[in-house]
Amino acid sequence: MRPFTYARPESAVAAVQAFTAAGAGARYIAGGTSLYDLMKLDIEKPQHLIDVTAIRGLDGIETNGERLRFEALAPMSAVATDKVVLRDYPVLAEALWKAASQQLRNMATVGGNLLQRTRCLYFRNGAGGTSVGNTYPCNKREPGSGCAAIGGLDRGQAVLGQSPSCTAVSPGDWPVSLVALDAYVEVLGASGTRSIPIAELYRLPGSTPNLEFTLQPGEMITAIVVPKTKAGRHSTYHKIRDRESYAFALASAAVALEMDGDTVTRARIALGGVATKPWRATAAEALLAGKPLTPATALAAGRAAFADAKAGKQNGFKIELGARTVADALTIAAARNRS
Amino acid sequence: MTAPFPNRPRADAREKVMGAARYGADHQVAGLLYAMQVPATIAKGRIASLSVDAAMQVPGVIRVLTATDFLPPPPATPGAPPPPATLTAYIAYRGQPVALVVAETLEAAIEGAEAIHPTYTTAPAFTSLIEQPGVVREAVKPVTAGDATRAMARAVTRHKADYVSPPQHHNPIEMLSTTAVWENGQLTIYESTQSSSNTKGAVMRNMRLTPEQVTVKSPQIGGGFGQRGGAQRQTALVARAAMLLGRPVKLVLPRGQIFHNATFRPMNRHRIEIGADASGKMIAVRYDADQQQSREGQFPPDYHESVPMLYGIENYHGTAANLRIDTQAPGYMRSPTPHPSCFAFESAVDELALKLGVDPVAFRLRHRATTDPIHGQKLSSCYLSECLTEGARRFGWERRSLQPGSMTLPDGTQVGWGVASGAYPGSAHPNIVTLRVNADGTTRFAAAGHEMGQGIRSTIEQVLVRELAIDPLKLEIAIGDTSVAPQHTTAGSWGTASVVPAAAEAAAKLNAAMAELLAGRQVAGNLHRQLATVRRPSLQVEVEHVAVDQGPKDLATLRKGGMALVGPDYSTFTTYSYIAHFVEVHVEPGTRRVRVPRVVSIADCGRVISPRTAESQVRGGVIWGIGAALREATEVDPRYGGWLNNDLADYVVPVNADIGSIDVGFIDRPDPLINALGAKGLGEVAMTGCAGAIANAIHHATGKRLREMPFRIEDLL
Repeated sequence: MRPFTYARPESAVAAVQAFTAAGAGARYIAGGTSLYDLMKLDIEKPQHLIDVTAIRGLDGIETNGERLRFEALAPMSAVATDKVVLRDYPVLAEALWKAASQQLRNMATVGGNLLQRTRCLYFRNGAGGTSVGNTYPCNKREPGSGCAAIGGLDRGQAVLGQSPSCTAVSPGDWPVSLVALDAYVEVLGASGTRSIPIAELYRLPGSTPNLEFTLQPGEMITAIVVPKTKAGRHSTYHKIRDRESYAFALASAAVALEMDGDTVTRARIALGGVATKPWRATAAEALLAGKPLTPATALAAGRAAFADAKAGKQNGFKIELGARTVADALTIAAARNRS
Repeated sequence: MTAPFPNRPRADAREKVMGAARYGADHQVAGLLYAMQVPATIAKGRIASLSVDAAMQVPGVIRVLTATDFLPPPPATPGAPPPPATLTAYIAYRGQPVALVVAETLEAAIEGAEAIHPTYTTAPAFTSLIEQPGVVREAVKPVTAGDATRAMARAVTRHKADYVSPPQHHNPIEMLSTTAVWENGQLTIYESTQSSSNTKGAVMRNMRLTPEQVTVKSPQIGGGFGQRGGAQRQTALVARAAMLLGRPVKLVLPRGQIFHNATFRPMNRHRIEIGADASGKMIAVRYDADQQQSREGQFPPDYHESVPMLYGIENYHGTAANLRIDTQAPGYMRSPTPHPSCFAFESAVDELALKLGVDPVAFRLRHRATTDPIHGQKLSSCYLSECLTEGARRFGWERRSLQPGSMTLPDGTQVGWGVASGAYPGSAHPNIVTLRVNADGTTRFAAAGHEMGQGIRSTIEQVLVRELAIDPLKLEIAIGDTSVAPQHTTAGSWGTASVVPAAAEAAAKLNAAMAELLAGRQVAGNLHRQLATVRRPSLQVEVEHVAVDQGPKDLATLRKGGMALVGPDYSTFTTYSYIAHFVEVHVEPGTRRVRVPRVVSIADCGRVISPRTAESQVRGGVIWGIGAALREATEVDPRYGGWLNNDLADYVVPVNADIGSIDVGFIDRPDPLINALGAKGLGEVAMTGCAGAIANAIHHATGKRLREMPFRIEDLL
């Protein structure tokens, strides 16, 4: 619990100006479902909060043109129940409604969701805040302090994309579905607007796991754009977790297929719950192209997605589980292709 | 014996649905200060230095209490456990409180607590897992019947295996909290506790106060499950702060601090060998159990309570031991030892039945228990066979194929049907109750007992409303308050059996008093109208109820705030409650998720007093069984000690989507000996055996035997 200033600008430009003026220690806040949590854990210690929820006209959902465009302040629950999204892009709707709870989805925004931080137990529970009381080294929280998860309890840690500095999983569902559909984000900063392909929004941990996103200081995500694709209708987000609801993924797969009869002409596959960033499974996609979708090819694609995976002590099961999750997701999506 | 009771709504249902029920931390007091504990960040050692300067700089912080603000531990009282330690320089476990910050606002208290960074002298080593060096093993007295070694030698078929249950935390939704008010030399504690008497005694002794100076109020509890059964460490800290500052103080522990300071179910291990004779009857059990224990902890490894009472096996040898390591004290968590022991034993029984090629229900029905082999006396009642038979009928058990892996759905989902039994001791406690019926239409009943959602008020209301012509809407049931009646620890499924016989006695006494008052006159209307007619404002009776084998000594113990528990082995008989669970699991072919679409559970708890809350108790127990079998485990990183997954996101309890249909039934036959109503306990027995039924169903579905809970996806891939 630390004092901070609070501003509630009414335009995106004013928000960026407020952020720039505040300097280091500023944070944007929208639904607050992630930032407040991290503040209570003593991980985020903002000195200035720029509340963006008073900005008008930044919560639109456009589905009529050549692309889907979700403005950043649209609530997760609104996008998840949009008629066009539900009908033509089940992968997007499912990624949203399989995340969190209805209460959280009503508050959380689709823009803020993209910047959710890891659920690594050593990251979250080791900052020494009084609510938890533990202290663990973590290169993501305290660069150079070490990684307690390596050599520790690593059942939930990543098997893809990890480095000797960090094995923390990228926790989201929504970003995984967007990566599968080649979405990009529109960003507003002090020097104007730019677009970033969603896959390039996320960094691998490497030796700087504290740097998670490629946004520049003060840059704010204003919209998410998804190019329309026929594959959307034949898509799914399949999420496997320790309980049926209200949990992060042990392994998940966003799959969208273009098919000619039973033959896959093009597959889009992205993985969640297993990697240090939303993970595009290009090898699996290549393996399937031009092949009929059978239980055998589906599982082969799943295995290909994890060909480079490396297990720790307890998380080795994620490699097999992930492969089977991909296989099941392909089967579900293909069944939608036929209907 | 009395007739069955009707299905009435929960006594406090409306209050709860309207959000009007007031729990521990809801009590509002003028001039309230807020407190926050500072947790130790080492696993073992001593505080070398602790500066409060930075915390005192935080605007709003009024005082920081440290070890020097507390009196030394009180002298030992014979027969009573010592009250919890207050603040000490010695650190026995990670997360132990080292200071209490008191401030005008909660925010300032938290900020102050985060500004305190003691330096420590850490111990050279500590032990946070039972597999590590530094464990002190301490065996307790074995539990024996007959000659298990000789009987095992003549057994024709044997099964032997190891079973494990992990550490678990209760996690009631209501946080642990204390509000203390010190006024005119009187200390009042508002705290959700299952033991207002224990809490009172501990604070009294820590603060050197007299019984007349301390009142503890715990009228509604947002889940107990045993976590609130003992005195909490924080109570004396908050009380001390209120006394030093002369203002009321409230502390609500954050979830992570509760994980580190509350009791928990310790990890426990079971090596079980069962032998059957040529006729396929179990004749011998050898059973070694041990459990994680803290250095000073007192939670007993009673793993041989329930198992010997299930099947009347004549030869039994059970050992048990504590494994002392550096952790906070473990304690009672719902179905404390019978849940893991019934999981282990009922898994072993299933394995033996399979080895014999016998249906697991038919196998159990070969062993009808009528006696307690350990104490060599009769069971007062045991309708476990009836539970099994009725459960099998409702479940459709006759359609089950014996062979594991033989039932599948068209999509390849493996279906498994499992059964297991459970038992729980039937104990009882004396109760001194006051019943007052008023001419103004109100009635007040005061007794020992705590309402933690289990429905104790509903059971009392059932008896009073049936026995007395009163207005049920104006019936006040005053419990959980040391100022209304001497209180006990409400736990171990003895709450109802200890209060409803007293309520029935009080009702009979009041009716007799009314008859005496009317002296043969015929007066119309209910008791309130009758009193008004004869111009008496009220009529009051007091009853000193004792359980079987008990007398004045036990009443005196109750009056002093002590425990006067009797049972389950009474002088001439033994009493247990029983249950049989039938579980269907579906195991997904690909990713191997385990679903539990339906459960049938039939309980023998003697006479059911409140059918509505009794059913709810059993559903809750089954959900706890599903949680224990498939999800819940608190995890320790031995390099650090403490608990890693210390919040509700990462300590995985079931959610609604995990729970399918739970069909609950009761035998509802009164126990002839335990008390006048024939009521045995229910809340604890509800969970026993459920995890075993799930393990057995998973084996039936997949052919894979899982012996270490929780069973997760990786165990079946």
